[in-house]
Amino acid sequence: MIHIQDVTHTFSIGKKGKEKRVPVLKNVSIDINKGEIVSIVGKSGSGKSTLLHVLAGFMRPESGSIKVLNKETASLSESEHAEFRLNNFGFIFQNFQLMPGLTAFENIELPLKLKGVAKSERRVNVEALIQKVGLSAVADHYPNELSGGQQQRVSIARALVSNPPIILADEPTGSLDSETEHEILHLIQSLNQSLGITFVIITHDDEVANIAHRKYRLHDGALVNGGTLHVV
Amino acid sequence: MSFKDQMDFISQHLKKNKLRVFMTVLAATMGCAFLIVLASVGFGLHKTLTDEMLDNQLINEVQIYGKEDESPVTAEDQQKMREMENVNAVVSRSFVEGVTSIAMEDRTGYGDVQLTNLEEEEKANLALSEGTMPTKPNEIVIGYHFAQNLLTEEEMNAQSDEEVPTGYTKSMVGKKITIELTPLAEENNEPKTWEFVVSGVSKAPSKDWMMDQRVLIDESHRTEFLSFTQPDVPVEESYIGVYVYADGLQNVKGITDSLKAEGYHVYSVTEEMETMDLFFTVLKAGLLFVGTIAVLISSIGIFNTMTMAVTERTREIGVMKAIGANPKLIQRLFLMESIWIGVIGTAIAVALSYAISYLANWLIPVIVLNIMEADGMEDMAITISTIPWQLVVIASVISIGVAMVSGWRPARKATKIDVIQALRQEL
Repeated sequence: MIHIQDVTHTFSIGKKGKEKRVPVLKNVSIDINKGEIVSIVGKSGSGKSTLLHVLAGFMRPESGSIKVLNKETASLSESEHAEFRLNNFGFIFQNFQLMPGLTAFENIELPLKLKGVAKSERRVNVEALIQKVGLSAVADHYPNELSGGQQQRVSIARALVSNPPIILADEPTGSLDSETEHEILHLIQSLNQSLGITFVIITHDDEVANIAHRKYRLHDGALVNGGTLHVV
Repeated sequence: MSFKDQMDFISQHLKKNKLRVFMTVLAATMGCAFLIVLASVGFGLHKTLTDEMLDNQLINEVQIYGKEDESPVTAEDQQKMREMENVNAVVSRSFVEGVTSIAMEDRTGYGDVQLTNLEEEEKANLALSEGTMPTKPNEIVIGYHFAQNLLTEEEMNAQSDEEVPTGYTKSMVGKKITIELTPLAEENNEPKTWEFVVSGVSKAPSKDWMMDQRVLIDESHRTEFLSFTQPDVPVEESYIGVYVYADGLQNVKGITDSLKAEGYHVYSVTEEMETMDLFFTVLKAGLLFVGTIAVLISSIGIFNTMTMAVTERTREIGVMKAIGANPKLIQRLFLMESIWIGVIGTAIAVALSYAISYLANWLIPVIVLNIMEADGMEDMAITISTIPWQLVVIASVISIGVAMVSGWRPARKATKIDVIQALRQEL
């Protein structure tokens, strides 16, 4: 489903003219199958977030190939990538990244609006998801009126609403207390089992990484294992 | 994203910054209203002068002063003119000089005696307030105000500045009048009199201040009158004013041009209007230019508002792009927002401009006439400001266009926002 082959990326840091080139990804190759939960772990600065950004198309890798659903995405234009993301990816961010001016319902509805789905259909889909993630009571609340756990549920529902085959999660429990973290992880697992969605989770937390079927570890931009099979 | 969802999205953002948006719309309104009101003064003055010109003259009249080769305009020439397309009538008028007095019963007065073809005059526009057009050679038509000049000796002696005599107030139809002429030649100045019967009185002129004191005598008396008053000048060489009447204002220019091409010296209202139109076109263009500067100044407000909106919403734009919003959509949303400000500002400006225009047309003439203490100008229609639909269209295009241009750069900036940087921004 996702085939990352020899992806390399370098950052230029420092003043213009005196830039220093720092490699952040070194020939990273990962294969992810349909319906898997894969975690990519590593310390801060190991390149795991960069790998997610490259996979999502937020940045173009210096070299290497990224195939998602048999489509080479590394060479797509910005507009093509945006459309590809809209149709194939859902995103869960560490700090939720909800629109402050929209209610929980409207935040979840946003990807469907971008896709041009009719209002009546949007309502049915969003209401079903709101129930599924347990947000019925707070659907008309704004993000600042929700707890961290509720905000992350909204974020998960937003990621799911357009039925993407892949969800990319960047430190999904990084801003949550341990009790809420368990709830969210449990939700991810149940969604994976019930809907067969592929999850790619970026985390530095082993507890989070342990819900994955397979675990990749990055160290200084290079993979240090080839995707250890983890028995969940 | 459907158009309605885009509009909902924009209105949500506009509601979040009500005060800033209000101030920006206000600036756009002021700029556009200034443009419309300023240019409307040009349109208003143009209208006032055009109306005055058209009111004071017979608009379908083309005056012929003579020929380029200085030969007189003959009856044959006039007949050719009658045969021209869109010509309603051709009238030749001789103005009788040497009138010593015009008398009726015990009253005497003065008048503007003209020898003319009354049939053609009728075709040309001569309408009667009473009586009929002459059917006999000794019948005449008099002007609406002619009777006011016929005074008794007593009335003449009692004349003062405070009280103007009303003259003869009864119907003049059927009355006999005597016209006394004195020849212009010095050696023979024995006066001679002619008697006529009034068959009709012309209609009142369109303006209160216009006086019609004509005495219109059929042209069959031309030789008789002119050879008496100017015995030294052959009748065929005496000055005759020839007037061609078009069947509509739209045809005046065509007839004027044709007559010019045929070698006549002509004057018509279109000649004067062409010069005036050119002047006012230049004036209006100048006013529009000055007004546009005001719109451009107001556009700085839109630019600032939109730039701030993009900066404030960097994270939101980043999220939108991350979840799959096309950069073109982001650009369109911001562009629509600035257009929305331009459209609302323009709509309010148009309504405001009409109100200001109405107020100016009502108030300024009252103030000016009071300050100048101008008598007799009460019926003069002064239009200070006129807003034709063309001005509304021009101003709207300029105002909305400027709003679009000023929102374009911030909108472009929004599309360039880096998703990763935007997502890293603190809430």
